[in-house]
Amino acid sequence: MLLLQYHNLLIQSILTERFSPNSQPVSIDQVISDFDNVTYHISTPESKTKILISLSIKCFNDLKKYGVEELLQREYGPYIVSAPEVGYDFSMVVDLEKLPPELDAKEALIEKIALLKRNALAAPFEKAFAQYDELAAEAAKSSLDLSVPEDSGADVMPIHYRDEESIFIKASHDRVTVIFSTVFREETDRVFGKVFLQEFVDARRRAIQNAPQVLYSHKEPPLEIRSVPGLKASDDIGYVTFVLFPRHITKDRRENCISHIQIFRDYFHYHIKCSKAYMHSRMRFRVAEFLKVLNRAKPEVAEKERKTASGRRFGAR
Amino acid sequence: MSHLTTPAVVMGNGTGLTKLGFAGNDSPSFIFPTVIATRQASASGSGRPPPPSKPSFMTGAGGISSAGGHLSQKRGTEDLDFFIGDEALSAASGPGYGLNYPIRHGQIENWDHMERFWENSIFKYLRCEPEDHYFLLTEPPLNPPENRELTAEIMFESFNCAGLYIAVQAVLALAASWTSSKVQDRSLTGTVIDSGDGVTHVIPVAEGYVIASAIKNIPIAGRDITYFVQSLLRDRNEPDSSLRTAEKIKEEFCYVCPDIVKEFNRFDREPERFQKYLVDQGLDKKVSVDVGYERFLAPEIFFNPEIASSDFLTPLPEVVDTVIQTSPIDVRRGLYKNIVLSGGSTMFRDFGRRLQRDIKHLVDARIHRSEELSGARSGGVDVQVISHKKQRNAVWFGGSLLAQTAEFRSYCHTKQDYDEYGPGIVRNFSLFNVP
Repeated sequence: MLLLQYHNLLIQSILTERFSPNSQPVSIDQVISDFDNVTYHISTPESKTKILISLSIKCFNDLKKYGVEELLQREYGPYIVSAPEVGYDFSMVVDLEKLPPELDAKEALIEKIALLKRNALAAPFEKAFAQYDELAAEAAKSSLDLSVPEDSGADVMPIHYRDEESIFIKASHDRVTVIFSTVFREETDRVFGKVFLQEFVDARRRAIQNAPQVLYSHKEPPLEIRSVPGLKASDDIGYVTFVLFPRHITKDRRENCISHIQIFRDYFHYHIKCSKAYMHSRMRFRVAEFLKVLNRAKPEVAEKERKTASGRRFGAR
Repeated sequence: MSHLTTPAVVMGNGTGLTKLGFAGNDSPSFIFPTVIATRQASASGSGRPPPPSKPSFMTGAGGISSAGGHLSQKRGTEDLDFFIGDEALSAASGPGYGLNYPIRHGQIENWDHMERFWENSIFKYLRCEPEDHYFLLTEPPLNPPENRELTAEIMFESFNCAGLYIAVQAVLALAASWTSSKVQDRSLTGTVIDSGDGVTHVIPVAEGYVIASAIKNIPIAGRDITYFVQSLLRDRNEPDSSLRTAEKIKEEFCYVCPDIVKEFNRFDREPERFQKYLVDQGLDKKVSVDVGYERFLAPEIFFNPEIASSDFLTPLPEVVDTVIQTSPIDVRRGLYKNIVLSGGSTMFRDFGRRLQRDIKHLVDARIHRSEELSGARSGGVDVQVISHKKQRNAVWFGGSLLAQTAEFRSYCHTKQDYDEYGPGIVRNFSLFNVP
């Protein structure tokens, strides 16, 4: 598995099973976790045919500022429950008796619900892209690229999606900048992470010219977000900057782009872990080889038992 | 910290099936075979696994290495080219992939595969960042402590998981029985009868510690029952006698009877006891299979093994009795009082009742004899077999139950502990103190 999936497999499998026409309604009560401190709760509190799906996401208050409610309204309109379940940020109810009859529509609905986290996190990205559209139009109107001052553009949108890590998004007239702050708790991870990020930077230079530009800075926050309050300067923090140019955010690529970029941190950590696992397998193989060499080096015959003339043995007392 | 709010992950890796889920749920989120399909030059699946290949830049600039010049090996990501669980089974039916079973006889044999199996279970199926979660893993009784250390190395060093607890399956099965109304005191003393697909274990547990010397295994379990049903179907020339049909019949129709002779008579008196099972053979072909005496004969092989097997002839109640008799004398009373069932093959109706009656007979006979010999009166021994609703995934459920308690995190070894003391710390886990 090279890429992480965007949807939640468990939600998908539960719903697929429930939605299939020849399944008996059963009661469900499952707490499901997703990346980045996202918790889902799937339950059937009222009756077995009404599935309540609740989402709790750490940065919901941030997301609210960026219009997550409109986005969720757009995506899940008819299913939304006005008062979310206690302890959760967003709830929706799917009634098994009122499902769309066509198979395709059902599958689309399942897919949509499984992408709940992705859609919630997409709000700031969509907003940034909208801002970019506006700014680009404005810039085109004045048609004086050079005269646009460097620091123009919309405000930085911080999303504190994990305890110590955040995403910052900033739109300007010719690009959208996405900055991830990353914290490594482990020395080993930091080393692996550095190699990875270096590869990201190099890959663009070497092979994939039209990939977004990736910058990595250690300790020092990039210029774009210097103004954001609450940035901690510590040794183990790093900033990864993606610069999305207009060709990355054309209308038909946007959705894909959002999916890709918001899962970056998990993808990054997944691959750090995979490479460690790979290193371990190499190490195990090496140890096994060395053991073989050591075993070959054993003397052929063990020492013969020595006895005295009377037949008594030497032995440790 | 974030991991205080996230649910703990409960992973039960068994020989046959892996059960994954989050603490607090009443059933595992995923149940799939513990199998991994890796890319192989020849999909023979036997013999030693090939050494992990080196990345291309390490094998020299020429690239003409002994590892082979496959195009796939040059990408450098072939270690990610694998599938686990049901996907593995379907991948292996095509060319290029070979199946590997990383766990044999309950114990992890191939750590490379297991590490990748965990990697995929965490990131693809559970979708959680291991740094944010505590983990509860299960291990079979008699697992060597070295295996625990290797497990801890993987969990802490590869995955950086926040905390780890490795629990013995039998103890978790005991904890799962607390949901039964018959259990008054939540003690961790009892005999666990764990019958899965391959083998049946009888494990005595005293106050949370497994009495290793008294454990007994019985080579009769779910698969043997299925084979027995199948052989009966074949003897009668039923139109469909595939293993799947036999398994379905076993699961849907079989039950344990109190007395075989009486049950035969009842079947002859009441013809409605013979039932029919409709097999859907696909392509709109449906055949009907008669279901007769196997309804009660199949589970009977636990109690009278001679009807199915010729090499193992001790009935299950006798084995349980022997196990308890070989345990220390001061815990025997507790072991008789709390006999807990776990695993899918103990799900037959009235299995617990029959077992309880048979063990009671053995115990009463022994007490009677000793009363005759000594002339003293005995107070009798309480025999109680506990069956409960969560029996099928009892081990996982027990894990989920314990991992959601507030104290769970204090029993775990954390990443900090591991960094401080090394893998040796996982040799000991403090037991859950029982409320």
